[in-house]
Amino acid sequence: MTAETRTDLTEDQRDALQEIANIGMGQAGSLIGKIWGEFVNLSIPRIAHLDRQSIPAALTRLVGDHSVNAVRQAFHGSIRGEVVVVFSGGRDDELRELMGYEEADSVEEQELLLDVANILVGACLGGIAETLKAEIGFSAPSVMGLDISPALLIRPDELNSGRALFLEVRFTLEKKSLASHLVVLMPEDEFFVLGQALDTFLASI
Amino acid sequence: MAVSVLVVDDSPIARKMLIRALPSDWDIEISQATNGIEALVAYRAGKVDVMFLDLTMPDMDGYQVLETLRKEDLNCLVIVVSADIQEKAQERVQNLGAIAFIRKPITAEGLAEVLKKYGIVV
Repeated sequence: MTAETRTDLTEDQRDALQEIANIGMGQAGSLIGKIWGEFVNLSIPRIAHLDRQSIPAALTRLVGDHSVNAVRQAFHGSIRGEVVVVFSGGRDDELRELMGYEEADSVEEQELLLDVANILVGACLGGIAETLKAEIGFSAPSVMGLDISPALLIRPDELNSGRALFLEVRFTLEKKSLASHLVVLMPEDEFFVLGQALDTFLASI
Repeated sequence: MAVSVLVVDDSPIARKMLIRALPSDWDIEISQATNGIEALVAYRAGKVDVMFLDLTMPDMDGYQVLETLRKEDLNCLVIVVSADIQEKAQERVQNLGAIAFIRKPITAEGLAEVLKKYGIVV
């Protein structure tokens, strides 16, 4: 057994994380749905362990091979990692309309993306951390790229970790084509702590 | 006679949490399904009195189960258990014939309250 496979989450731990992510996602979907005044469809959370070289291809597979806007936000505390929020599809001004801004409002597109990402990440990761009884804080979100290919969002060589846990949830709207993907990446050296938190949760149910 | 309870959720953890939350003094027979298709197979076999139904599932989701049950003249009590806590989700499932909506994570207290409110467990 290699060092990489030894640290991967077990099937039970993955099942637990998927259900916990589902709960966090439900909280985020409810919050953003209220702000947008729209019904938000939630996906089934997907979890994978990926070698860093395969992350760009995995991102493209999930969000589709077309240009996207993306924001990143790191979280730290008893568990740490990074969340990438990818916005795909939708007209240019769709997000502005959803957030209730008029065209004349001088809100930059970047600010809009940061606002929405911040809401989704805070609610979703906040929900996950709460269920896991983990204390986490967030760094300020930053724009990774506008109108960029998803394969270029994360360069394998910028990751400190050879392997990462990849957790994806997707928010879509019924009457609009905008989709928001929330991808949580956790480095390999966090697997153990996360696994312990999941074991504690599993023992409590 | 024991009440037939069907727990429908793609997550084994969610099914376990629900089963643990059921009142211990309730005389039931529990069966499980991992998606809507399996749930309907169990329903058509005529052995479901109370169904606990998740909404977001692969193959066939909870909304589709409710629609199908309605077409087939629903006669089991469906309680939706979901992490999708949007008001519209609750409205939709109740319009489709679900008697109650319980938000995840489920608790024994929350479940007991619903069962009592609808006279399922006295």
